[in-house]
Amino acid sequence: MLRAKAVSFAYDEGTVLDGVSVEASEGGLVGVLGPNGSGKTTLLKLLAGLLTPARGEVTLDGRRLDTFARGALARRLAVVPQETELVFDYTVLDVTLMGRYPHLRPFELEGPNDLDIARRALDATGTAHLEARPFRALSGGERQRVAIASALAQFDTGISNLGRVLLLDEPTASLDLAAQLETMALIARLSEEQRTTVVLCTHDLNLAARLCDQLVLLRKGTVAAAGRTDQVLTRDTIAAVYNVDADVHRHEATDQLTVLPLRRKESP
Amino acid sequence: MTPVCRLLVSFALAVWVAALPAQTRPGRIISIVPALTEALFSMGAGPRVVGVGSFDRHPAEVDSLPKVGGLIDPDMEQIIALTPDLVVLYGSQEDQLAQLERAGISVFVYAHGGLNDTLATIRELGVRTGQRMPADALADRIGSQITRVSNRVADQPKPRVMLVFGREPGTLSNVYASGGIGFLHDMVEAAGGDNVFAAVARESVQLSSESILTAAPDIIIELSYDERMTPARQVAERAVWSRLPAIPAVRAGRVHLLLGNEFVQPGPRMGDATEAIARALHPKAFQE
Amino acid sequence: MGLLPVVAGVTAGARRRRVWAVQIGFLLLAVLAVLCAPLVGPTAISLRQVFDPTIAFADNVDAQIFFIARLPRTLAGALVGGALAAAGVVLQALLRNPLATPFTLGVSAGASLGAMLVITFGLPLTLAGIPAVPLASFVGALAAVGVVYGLATMRRQGLSTNVLLLAGVTLNSLFSAIILFVQYLADFTQSFQAIRWVMGNLDVSSYQPLLWALPMLLVAAGAFAGLPRALNLLTLGTDSAAARGIDVLRTQRLAFVSASLATGAAVALGGPIGFIGIIVPHLVRLLIGADHRFVLPASACLGATFLVVCDTAARTLLSPMELPVGVITAMLGGPFFLWLLVTRGGGPR
Repeated sequence: MLRAKAVSFAYDEGTVLDGVSVEASEGGLVGVLGPNGSGKTTLLKLLAGLLTPARGEVTLDGRRLDTFARGALARRLAVVPQETELVFDYTVLDVTLMGRYPHLRPFELEGPNDLDIARRALDATGTAHLEARPFRALSGGERQRVAIASALAQFDTGISNLGRVLLLDEPTASLDLAAQLETMALIARLSEEQRTTVVLCTHDLNLAARLCDQLVLLRKGTVAAAGRTDQVLTRDTIAAVYNVDADVHRHEATDQLTVLPLRRKESP
Repeated sequence: MTPVCRLLVSFALAVWVAALPAQTRPGRIISIVPALTEALFSMGAGPRVVGVGSFDRHPAEVDSLPKVGGLIDPDMEQIIALTPDLVVLYGSQEDQLAQLERAGISVFVYAHGGLNDTLATIRELGVRTGQRMPADALADRIGSQITRVSNRVADQPKPRVMLVFGREPGTLSNVYASGGIGFLHDMVEAAGGDNVFAAVARESVQLSSESILTAAPDIIIELSYDERMTPARQVAERAVWSRLPAIPAVRAGRVHLLLGNEFVQPGPRMGDATEAIARALHPKAFQE
Repeated sequence: MGLLPVVAGVTAGARRRRVWAVQIGFLLLAVLAVLCAPLVGPTAISLRQVFDPTIAFADNVDAQIFFIARLPRTLAGALVGGALAAAGVVLQALLRNPLATPFTLGVSAGASLGAMLVITFGLPLTLAGIPAVPLASFVGALAAVGVVYGLATMRRQGLSTNVLLLAGVTLNSLFSAIILFVQYLADFTQSFQAIRWVMGNLDVSSYQPLLWALPMLLVAAGAFAGLPRALNLLTLGTDSAAARGIDVLRTQRLAFVSASLATGAAVALGGPIGFIGIIVPHLVRLLIGADHRFVLPASACLGATFLVVCDTAARTLLSPMELPVGVITAMLGGPFFLWLLVTRGGGPR
């Protein structure tokens, strides 16, 4: 499905990623973790085709991203940024319909079909009742859900759900507890019910533990650990990557893997 | 001004002049007003002028004198460094007036006005510089020159005249013409013309093409003091008016471009300027 | 609620019909303004005489008032107003800043400097009969945006809108300083002439300047036509726009160059007439929402209408004196701008 093979990338300031590989299989939910500056966001941008790797390649179904036409890629792969800030008063429906732009011919306005798809996307994210509201008047959690709806509206209806990839950057970073739970539930539902392939990067180890079946742990631009969630989230890897002593255990009531940071490790 | 008023003013002036301290005859004069610089030289105070304005061009002697700025940018430091006894400057330069007063330097304040105001100013300047007799003679000479011009054209029919003194080159945008007050208007009337914007009680009127068409002047006099006006450009600038062919002046080919700064500086050459305008308005009256 | 309230559950057909109705409404308003303005003025003219074929044009005062004094400046007003309003929309979206104007990036300062230099030094540069002042202002405008663009693309590959904004603001003050310096060298009447130029004047009194400006405005309009959808996406952020299939750099370049071209041509035609580029787009957004596919054409139409009306006031109110049209737009625009600043705060809430 979506695969980064030994990708490297450097900004003017220096190397950010060096030989990183990630693979998200169909319907999979992959989390990218790592401390600040470890290259999470850059990796996400490479996976989205927003940046082109200096070495290595990113492929979707075995085909390099840069061989896709811009519109064609946008109809299969959507990105939800950490925050969506609008300057003008677009309505929620306006924003959602922007997801349909890759499907329109030049000068074409959205038709009944596009409106239908946008409304179903709003429905799926529980924001249908906000349709006529100005986007800027929404709460953070509502904005995040509408941004996801707009991304969902991007997908072709013709192809099977399995062909869809959704990339999310810190989806819960600026949300309160209730909104975090809403968003997590939404992502889980998209992955489970609609079999959408999801890659998200996050700082929240517990969110990753709860949602993701695969994790990639980055450290200074390289992969420190990768694999099944319970294999990656261990005392040792956390200590190595974050330099923090943490208690990792299964929560009794939910059987959820839980990470409790205890103290900063003394420098060796 | 009524005669009584005028009498009172001159009386007050005489009392004030008499009350002035011993330095009634200033030895070092600075003038940043071009028209009055010229007047100072014409009344024989030229040798005592030690500094002039940046835009002063007349007479030729000013070229070798220190330039001390103009209306917007007078260089006070330089002015004071030249240790003048009298500074001639504009009435709107209030800060500078106050500064000079603090420095104990006398000032002569220039105010814009009509022809008669200008003549009165020249006489007054003569009193302040101790050149009363030659100043009076100068004012009389200008006055009689203008009267001569008026008399010469007195029996001619008065054409309707538009006097333009500003315009964006090559276009009919931002056209400025003389309104019904000020020395430009006075000169037009003295030269035997009927100013089409005499009813507008302002020195300058900005015009649209429509108001020019509606005013329908018989003659357009356009003043230019641009020193770079080549003959080719003069032809081109006059031709711009042909865009409005319904104006009688344009149809009759009576658009005149008069060059020279004597038209915009009300000083000793005002008589010449009036005569030049009269010659443009009434060529027949000047045929010998 | 505006003219285009998005009521939940409305159908696509209803949306489209309403969009078209509103667009045609704005267009009709502009056409009406252009048709009526030449009939209004300080002088009463008879339409019968204007179109009377038995009177030679050279003798027909009414026809000359209509065809030389009023019609060209009405058309100039429509072109300049439409161009400035549309350029305002495009630049606000490009810079993601609702307080941006067509002059934010240094266009007006560059144009003023160009005009100023010609007025002060009497440079005799005419090209194919184009008068020196409009020509120099156009060159000055393009030179200014060229410098701003160069700065914004120098540091890295993309186009940094932050650098664009900062460079524009800085260049505006730098050029203003140079203008003051040139004014220092100029004599009083030249300074006055230059100041008057800055207030804007649409009295072109011939069709020639319109013909010079038209090709550039048409090129800009052609570019504008392809932009709105991409502008909508750009307001979401460059990554979001790119992820929806937009070539961000190409769009930014096209938006920047076409908006600059339109502004430069408009300024050369009518001088740097302020506030249209900011009032009109915001007014339109208040009325019909934020979607640039509708805001852009509606703003062009409303900008044309607004300037034609303001200019009619400028040439009529104090007749026979002419009032600078820029003064009228500024007196209407200034308070509106402040109101906007106070109520909107100029950024996302």
